[in-house]
Amino acid sequence: MAAVRGFKIEPKQLRIYGLVGSVVGIYLAVILNAVTGTNIFSFVGALAALFGVVWGANAVRRVCAYGIGTGVPSIGMLSLGMGTVAVLFGLNIAEQLGVGMLGVIIALVYSLVFGYVVGLIANRVMGFNIPVMEEGLTDLSGAGTMAILGWSFAISGSLGYVDIVKDVFNTGFLAIIFICGGLAILHPFNANLGPDEKQDRTLVNGVMVGGLSTIATGVCALLTLGLAAGMVQIVVGFAVWYYFYVWYFRLARRDAAAVVGTGLLPPSAL
Amino acid sequence: MSFDINTVIYFLEIVVGGLLVGIGVHFVPVGGAPAAMAQATGIGTGTVQLAAGSGLTGLLSAGLMMHAMSLSPTFATDGYSIWPIVATGAVGAMIMMDATMLTGSWIYAYAVGAPFASAKVNYDPITGFSQPPYVAPGTVGQGIPTICFVSGTIGAAMGGIGGAMIYFPLVLINHNPAMSAIFAIGIFMVDAVLASWNIQGTIEGFHDPKFKKWPQAFKACLVSTVILAVVAVLITPIIGGV
Amino acid sequence: MDAFGMGLVAAMGALATVAGASEDIDSDIGSQSNPNSQVQLAAQVGNPHRIYNKAIAGEPPSNALWCTTAAIMAYVLIEGYHMPLLFAAVAGASLAALFDGVMSTSAYLGRNASQARFNQWIYLDIIRYTTPSIMAHVWITSFCIVLISIIQVYILTPHHPFPIPVIAIIWGLTVGAIGSSVGDIHYGGEREFQWRLFGQGLNTMLSGQIVRKAEAGLRNSIDNAWFCAKFGGPCTGMGFGLTVFLDNWRTTVFDPLTQAGLAIAMGVFFVIVMNLYNFYCEVSARRKYGPYPGYKGDIAA
Repeated sequence: MAAVRGFKIEPKQLRIYGLVGSVVGIYLAVILNAVTGTNIFSFVGALAALFGVVWGANAVRRVCAYGIGTGVPSIGMLSLGMGTVAVLFGLNIAEQLGVGMLGVIIALVYSLVFGYVVGLIANRVMGFNIPVMEEGLTDLSGAGTMAILGWSFAISGSLGYVDIVKDVFNTGFLAIIFICGGLAILHPFNANLGPDEKQDRTLVNGVMVGGLSTIATGVCALLTLGLAAGMVQIVVGFAVWYYFYVWYFRLARRDAAAVVGTGLLPPSAL
Repeated sequence: MSFDINTVIYFLEIVVGGLLVGIGVHFVPVGGAPAAMAQATGIGTGTVQLAAGSGLTGLLSAGLMMHAMSLSPTFATDGYSIWPIVATGAVGAMIMMDATMLTGSWIYAYAVGAPFASAKVNYDPITGFSQPPYVAPGTVGQGIPTICFVSGTIGAAMGGIGGAMIYFPLVLINHNPAMSAIFAIGIFMVDAVLASWNIQGTIEGFHDPKFKKWPQAFKACLVSTVILAVVAVLITPIIGGV
Repeated sequence: MDAFGMGLVAAMGALATVAGASEDIDSDIGSQSNPNSQVQLAAQVGNPHRIYNKAIAGEPPSNALWCTTAAIMAYVLIEGYHMPLLFAAVAGASLAALFDGVMSTSAYLGRNASQARFNQWIYLDIIRYTTPSIMAHVWITSFCIVLISIIQVYILTPHHPFPIPVIAIIWGLTVGAIGSSVGDIHYGGEREFQWRLFGQGLNTMLSGQIVRKAEAGLRNSIDNAWFCAKFGGPCTGMGFGLTVFLDNWRTTVFDPLTQAGLAIAMGVFFVIVMNLYNFYCEVSARRKYGPYPGYKGDIAA
């Protein structure tokens, strides 16, 4: 059996990939849609969100390794909660100031600042004294924002505040972005919790759940963007999910003590 | 953006709502994973999850009440009145929390077969029952004694009021119930998670010595809710949409 | 208040009871949430096992995900393609069940792979025959909750202002919180440690010593669910059913516009009754079980 591909990426590198990848991805999607005059390329926004997911999943790994006492799910909900407010704020302020296209940047900058403030609160006011807390929460806030922006673009096909409110908030589709994106960020570490947790398996799991999210936003896009754009997104989401799920299974087989078709307990434990 | 006296009132309402959520989390008796094994007093789940469940149920009832108010024939002259909305939110959250705790008590009493006892006090402050003889060996209490039940009810009420108080000014600012609900969920999550970090996982209620840590959560929620409230009042509806 | 409205509230209460029960059994089959910490611990103290380790976040977020997935699918079918309400709910529940299958298997593979040093094996036959049961119960839970949301938004008057996905995420979080607080105690406090003395909480010395060898053969999660479906599941159903029913009953009997005060007073009355019932349970347990015989302190019972 050929050796399965593994990898190891430094946190700083992942932060750059996540930041640049998601921002570039969203603007690329806007440009592609404008150039071709359709909204078929909205799925590129969903792919941009995957970069945010990977960035966030690694931040969860780093912060939760210190044991904050209340578990991983609350961090994921916090990240998406901060992201929701940041997205609304960024897009609205950009529209009010007349620079609609810069909404992404404004939302990102605000979310990074707010994440840092929350990290400071956690360390100074609550006395956590976790070294990576400020950094980790800044990462989480930014990742949550970019994930929401990417998938919101995938549903609405435009960065305008009015369009996003009509397509994503009034329909309630932000709820699925919130919960599926939140689970894409927190499920990887939670599902691979244990002393033999490996970064590559965790991050591949994150992208796999991101693929599921893309299928979900594709279903939403069937209503907001029409049959063609929606089906393209569902197919892309399914492809991403399938590729990364198979990779994840191979990584689990690489790491586990044994993968057996059926059997009794291990001989040491009977 | 139109700044007038109303904006300041909305801002204060959101801040007070966020603080109520944060402090209310401290009243809910949460035992965490050990309580699910009858190893600790309280409800066997996570703080954030329970606070979110009860507070958001309150938000649901408050949203319906607010919408019903707008259908009233005298709405044009009377406008909204905050008190029924806030009270409905509180009652909705209290019913959810009490139903949860009550059915949990059935399992502790009849399936696990353990009497309720708290390990943090010697005598229940409300009923006066003695606690230590009923604490199983090797555990830190089990079940939901009366003091924890009452404390949980109060905590749920505060969470429900807080959720409704965050939702009410948001709808008045941007006239969009769906968007305000999602925005309120976001603010709620931030405050609930910060408060649960302060508790560090488990608390028995307002009789628990850990409850004295609430000023820290107050400060933390104050700073973050102020920032979020400023953001909320800066967002104004853009003509042509909503 | 009218007969149709009251009938709908009764239907919502029944759906909520079923949803609560199936949510709890789903979390027992998968050993999700808090008792899962013991399953995790078991391998670390030298007890590898054949229990399904479905560690998805915690019940509230994961149930919120299934219910919201079902809700968006239902919403798209209702608003975009004008499908009948029941068909939309069925389609949505099916999508949610598929999502759940993916997440459960990924959690089982991941957690067991990360415990390789404790010699915890991955059993593919456990995945094969346990996952469909989990998916089936998630189907029931999300179907019932989507139907509750649809009734609240499209049929019951006054129509709820929130869209279906937002209502579904809130009910999903609630049913998860209730299932995690109520039914998991039956699993974690009783079935997981059935070999120890009955009538007390779990002694910390016994952490990790879960039952691995069953009545005949090795214990697996389906055996656990069989037991918990007799009491833990129905109690959870009662918890969620009471929440949904009491909340909607009082706003349907008393018109929210003109009799808001009465509706709120009714709610306060329910709260007081539940407080008194818990007090009765506490007194009854103390009287019937008595203090622990090994108690050596000096506080009188």
